[in-house]
Amino acid sequence: MRFIFTRQVALVGAVAITAVPAFGQDSWPTAPVRVFVGFPAGSSPDTLARIVTDELAERLGQPIVIENRPGAGGVIGVQQMLVSAADGHTFGTTINGTLTTAQRMMDSTGFDVAEDIIPVTLIATSPLVLAVSADSDIDDLESFIAAAGVEPEAIAYGSVGQGSGAHLTAELFAAEAGVSMLHVPFTSYAEVTTSILGNEIDAGFMAPSAALPFVEAGTMRMLGITSSEPFAGAPDVPLIAGNAGLPDDFRAELWNAFIAPAGTDAAVIERLNTEIVEIFNDPAIHAQFLAIGWQAAPGSADDLRQRIADDTAMWGGVIDRVQAQ
Amino acid sequence: MTTWEGLLFGIGFVTQPEVLIYCVLGVVLGTFVGVLPGIGAMAAISLLLPITYYVTPEAALIMLAGVYYGAQYGGAVASILLRLPGTPQSAVTTLDGYPMAQSGRAGVALFTAMASSFVGSVIGILVLVMLAGWLSRAATAFGAADYAAMMILGLVAASTIGTARPAKGFAMVTLGLLLGCIGTDVNSGAQRFTFGQTELLDGINLVALAMGLFGVAEVIANVRNPDRQSVAERIGLRRLMPRRDDLRRMAFPMLRGSALGSFFGALPGTGSTLSSFLSYSMERRIARQPERFGKGAVEGVAGPESANNSAAITAFAPTLTLGIPGDPIMALMLGALVIHGIQPGPMMLEARPEMFWGLVASFGIGNLLLLILNLPLIGIWVAMLRIPFNYLYPAILVFLCLGVYSVRGLTFDIVAVAGIGLAGYLLAIAKFSPALLLLGFVLGPLIETNLRRAFLISRGDPMVFLERPIAAGFVVATVVLLLLPLWQAWRRRSAHELQ
Repeated sequence: MRFIFTRQVALVGAVAITAVPAFGQDSWPTAPVRVFVGFPAGSSPDTLARIVTDELAERLGQPIVIENRPGAGGVIGVQQMLVSAADGHTFGTTINGTLTTAQRMMDSTGFDVAEDIIPVTLIATSPLVLAVSADSDIDDLESFIAAAGVEPEAIAYGSVGQGSGAHLTAELFAAEAGVSMLHVPFTSYAEVTTSILGNEIDAGFMAPSAALPFVEAGTMRMLGITSSEPFAGAPDVPLIAGNAGLPDDFRAELWNAFIAPAGTDAAVIERLNTEIVEIFNDPAIHAQFLAIGWQAAPGSADDLRQRIADDTAMWGGVIDRVQAQ
Repeated sequence: MTTWEGLLFGIGFVTQPEVLIYCVLGVVLGTFVGVLPGIGAMAAISLLLPITYYVTPEAALIMLAGVYYGAQYGGAVASILLRLPGTPQSAVTTLDGYPMAQSGRAGVALFTAMASSFVGSVIGILVLVMLAGWLSRAATAFGAADYAAMMILGLVAASTIGTARPAKGFAMVTLGLLLGCIGTDVNSGAQRFTFGQTELLDGINLVALAMGLFGVAEVIANVRNPDRQSVAERIGLRRLMPRRDDLRRMAFPMLRGSALGSFFGALPGTGSTLSSFLSYSMERRIARQPERFGKGAVEGVAGPESANNSAAITAFAPTLTLGIPGDPIMALMLGALVIHGIQPGPMMLEARPEMFWGLVASFGIGNLLLLILNLPLIGIWVAMLRIPFNYLYPAILVFLCLGVYSVRGLTFDIVAVAGIGLAGYLLAIAKFSPALLLLGFVLGPLIETNLRRAFLISRGDPMVFLERPIAAGFVVATVVLLLLPLWQAWRRRSAHELQ
């Protein structure tokens, strides 16, 4: 009796498995969707993901569960997405570093970006601002570069860690400006800010949202911004590009993207891209993003693939220089 | 707005039913997650975060803050009854709270913890209201050298507590320091002792370490030791209320603990843990009979419990006045404000006075609620010990694994807690103090990072530790603390020679 029972179960199971691809094409999604985020609840990548998935869940007609798997600068989130993949209902959002620089900074990330990840769409970008204490004598980009050029490491700057966007951006800036600065790694913008306000370090490249409250309070000053166009969240800050002798094409941005594990049906990727891009037709979503310091930037899956390739090459060059030092 | 106007305004704000309900919800939830081993404020606040979309930012913050300080009350319960601290702060409470419970004074120990928590919170609130501006200036005045010097002092001061043999204490602190090295080095980005495991890149999960060393080790010890059953039966409901003598003993430790906690809590980082360890070691040093400590001294519960609660309150000073979160849980709470489009920062107080004063008033009301809620619960908690161990301990293991999993959602951590538990059991047999291991583990990475950062910023000049007045003060205090026993020994010897 028991033997027959197991055979029946096996048979039903086999039928169910063969039926899965058909479901994938016709009526996806058939189950709740999971989106892995490599940062803790309440962090800025998490907030971006929640804003998007709230809308997305309505459009897909299935609930979306955010799975926070923080750690290793977002790498654990991607790993966990890949572990749980292959059911057609598992996706992720990630910051740029995980897909562009992590492979260089870590011994092993456990995944290959080109082979294991399918880009869906870029969600948003954020520039970084170069900020100094309001007590500082430095009041623009030119005087900053002049102060940094007095001798090597005359200026100490803070970042949110070795190989972080803030660190690499500062090194790119230093290389283009022909100066050398002292890098002091911290673990959060809160620590960098405290150290700048306490006049312990001189400067830092940081997210506009981290610097703006202190600029408004008159305790910090922003000298320049790394985007290629003025940033709507801080329109008065001069561009670094083309300023104080820096090249016109200077651009360094953080970004956040929606990704899928390899093996996901192409039709599903297409559908997700269309829905997410449409979500951004609503100006209210742009405003929500801007309020937390991000510029909405949806696009095609190929745009994202190109962005990953470009940034991997650009930051790879910066990492080469840093590691050679 | 003057302080009194502000407070009145805040009390008026919080007592509105639609705000008060969130305060009640927060503190009740906080108490329960604090009691459950391993499930801490962090997990509870993460789960509550999506709900905060639907309430006003003030009510959201009041609720999340209630979970935060409510968990400090609950944390003492499992530490005292079962030797299961959820956090490093409450690890100190096990040192004397658990022996008290074992000798039939569980009710008194719980009462002491609750009363000390309340006194600590009230003093913390007064300090926060009167000195918020000063505290937040202290937060920016502390540089890397100052933090390094302060934490070295803390490590030196606390490294002999909880053990009769100093050598064993140092061994545990050192082991903690070594375990703290695991993970990515902040300064160089190098990966140390990770063996290619991505799960170890951010180090060993603190909750897994605490739960393994205390919780799992304790469960194994009880399985191995059937006599413990009779101990449980001996613990009666006989006396819940402390004697006059107990009250007299706990009064000054509470005040000293609150003072320590109020100061250290305001420093971003690990103020709360440091202050509870410092409070314990201070009480033992100034006690007339230091040998009573570790065997159920009321002072050893009163001091640290008031210290960590006042620290939990003053930790809001830099968070609210500067928008700089002192620990990951504070960062999470600020994240709840960001969802509402409020960018925390130095201007938040002026722009939204109801935020600051409402929150401060909710601290007062919330702590009163916690006291009213917890005192009658003491009887129920103590009765929990009557549950036969063969039912109680499997349930504890389940909660413990849930708690560990809730931090990062990784099965790796559950395997880790089992392994650490076994190691913790072996350490317990050899009478090593796991609390000191935890202290070394928490402070080690912070000392290393700040020490190296201080040298980096000073371009390698060690004089930075003497030129900065704050750092110099801590260095002098550390030297005095190290020389004191030598001097005492020398004086004893000269006294002998004179005879």
